[in-house]
Amino acid sequence: MKHYDSSFHAFIQGIILIGFALLMLWLTISGNIIYYIAPKMMPFVYFGLVTFFILGTVQIFRSTKKEANHEHGPSCSCGHDHQIPGPPLVKLAIYSVFILPVLLGFVLPDRSLDSSAAQNRGITYGSGNAPSVTQSASAAETETKSNRAEAYLDDPEGYMEQLENGEGADTEDLEEHYTIEDFYDQEGFDQYYKELANKLEHQDVITVTEDNYLDIMTVMDVHLDQFIGKDIEIVGFAYREPDFEDHELVAARFSMTCCTADAGVYGTLIQSDEAKDIEEDTWIHAYGTIEASEYNGYRLPVITDAILNEVDEPESPYVYPSFR
Amino acid sequence: MNPKQARSWGKDLIGMGLLLLFLFLFLFSDQLSNTQYIQDLPSAWVNVNTIFLSIVLEAIPFILLGVFVSALIQIYVSEETIKRYLPKNALGALFPAAILGAIFPLCECAIVPVVARLVKKGMPLHVGVVFLVAAPILNPIVFMSTFFAFGSDWTHPVLLSRMGLAFILSIIIGGALYFIFKNSYQLRAKQQDIHEHHHHQTHSKKPGILNRVKETVYHAVDEFFLMGKYLILGALIAALFQTFLDRQVLQTIGSGEYSSVLVMMGFAYLLSLCSEADAFVAASFGQNFTTASLIGFLVYGPMLDLKNTFMLFAYFRAKFVIAFMIIVTIVVFTAIILLNQFVLPNWYQWF
Repeated sequence: MKHYDSSFHAFIQGIILIGFALLMLWLTISGNIIYYIAPKMMPFVYFGLVTFFILGTVQIFRSTKKEANHEHGPSCSCGHDHQIPGPPLVKLAIYSVFILPVLLGFVLPDRSLDSSAAQNRGITYGSGNAPSVTQSASAAETETKSNRAEAYLDDPEGYMEQLENGEGADTEDLEEHYTIEDFYDQEGFDQYYKELANKLEHQDVITVTEDNYLDIMTVMDVHLDQFIGKDIEIVGFAYREPDFEDHELVAARFSMTCCTADAGVYGTLIQSDEAKDIEEDTWIHAYGTIEASEYNGYRLPVITDAILNEVDEPESPYVYPSFR
Repeated sequence: MNPKQARSWGKDLIGMGLLLLFLFLFLFSDQLSNTQYIQDLPSAWVNVNTIFLSIVLEAIPFILLGVFVSALIQIYVSEETIKRYLPKNALGALFPAAILGAIFPLCECAIVPVVARLVKKGMPLHVGVVFLVAAPILNPIVFMSTFFAFGSDWTHPVLLSRMGLAFILSIIIGGALYFIFKNSYQLRAKQQDIHEHHHHQTHSKKPGILNRVKETVYHAVDEFFLMGKYLILGALIAALFQTFLDRQVLQTIGSGEYSSVLVMMGFAYLLSLCSEADAFVAASFGQNFTTASLIGFLVYGPMLDLKNTFMLFAYFRAKFVIAFMIIVTIVVFTAIILLNQFVLPNWYQWF
């Protein structure tokens, strides 16, 4: 490579930057950005969008200057290679890497993750009812209101065993208060869900929406007994575990913190005669009665005798933990 | 028209063609995505694409922040300033570096160009390493997200161990790398000699705010193109792992005391999550993994992951990156095992 045409490279780089900006702009305008980034991260996306437009424009202007080399020629000491290295083919490959996400972003359909991803990630039933670290650590807490230290002092070995094995709590202890939207300290937190449970108890039908999804998942775990026999309606995509019977189904939702890469899956068990007609990944509206049931040894709410209707994908297919 | 002119016309055409292609895609993306051929793609590959783009789109603003900070350091912070504020004792610099790492709220994407720049500017390598591993964990956002994810409990073992280990281990890792590399030069970019150094002095004295802004922007763009390709490749591979690696398999191989820690560390490496969000992912594993392995996941991932490795290779010599990876892995693993043996069993006696 005898001569490095920096003005040409500045030009191409500028256009690639504009390409990124256009992709982000299009995703923002079309609203499809919700498939990739959580709403609370949007300010960063706007920042990236504007910065890319500015950088791209600057870079294209830089390319028009004949003496673009002047400031950043080989004599510059800024300590990194300003030049895209290698023979032409390598340069082409490097630029292709940058163009790839732009092309994929425009051409491939914007969709939310589906049940194959859900299966891979492993579904969390209820609010994460199973005894996770936090949960078993605080397992004895709910009913007795004793704190963790007391729980430990009562039975140090057993307590630590639970903590380490992440298991061993019997189902009574599983009533539980871990959730990702847990903002308050333990008491305020319990209080919040107690109030929510009492409020919901007076409603004829519990309607689960995007906004209260994770709250209701949690409250149904913590105070399941209060909800048995109540009617509930919920929307989610249909999902089946391999060991499910014909009348069993899950209405599942992905929950996203920052971006799709960190999405987790939450689901509610449904028992219905109509379940066998539902294909996986179709969005369903379920209306039924809450009962307590068991799956994999955990006590869970299950929606029985559910009436299932296929519905369109909700505007926001993901649910988000709310840091109240 | 002479051949030189023809070539420059050709190059302009390539650029214009690319721009037109982007504009076309921008205008007709909807129709394209709806064509039958593309709709029929296997859903697993659409999932790969979704995760790939989500990592790229999320990381890019932070990469931009990182390259801007790096460009600002390049232009406004001189080698002399760094020398003046650095403790003379090589190992004595480790502790303040870890504290500084806690003050800089930079995530693991943004920290790589910043550290490379600081090292280039004369900061000792091992001090840079302390920054590199401490800053992504020891920052307020990560603290809060871990706090929320693990039950909003100030004394939760995962929260405190994560922060404490990040602080202590960053010093140990920095010290270990000092004993291996001393003050040798490990950046890929050519070392500046005195002549260039001199040149730079005149260079930065250039008057005019506009010129400085322009220079910052040029540096930022060049650096974006230097490291962006590694980020994109790393994101692509991480997306493949996220889609095709069955998490249930992890549980079956990772049930032992030691193997579960190793598995979760490896998993953190492959997933390449942002340190801000990884606590929630760790919490969702809670039911199947031990506390120690979750801490391993949360300490190791931000220090070292797949996309990060690619970026390190962009700046540092391969030998150094490999040594860095080995040391981080050994130190974190050992620390987690010790923690599991001696600290976790007595946790609630202390709090």
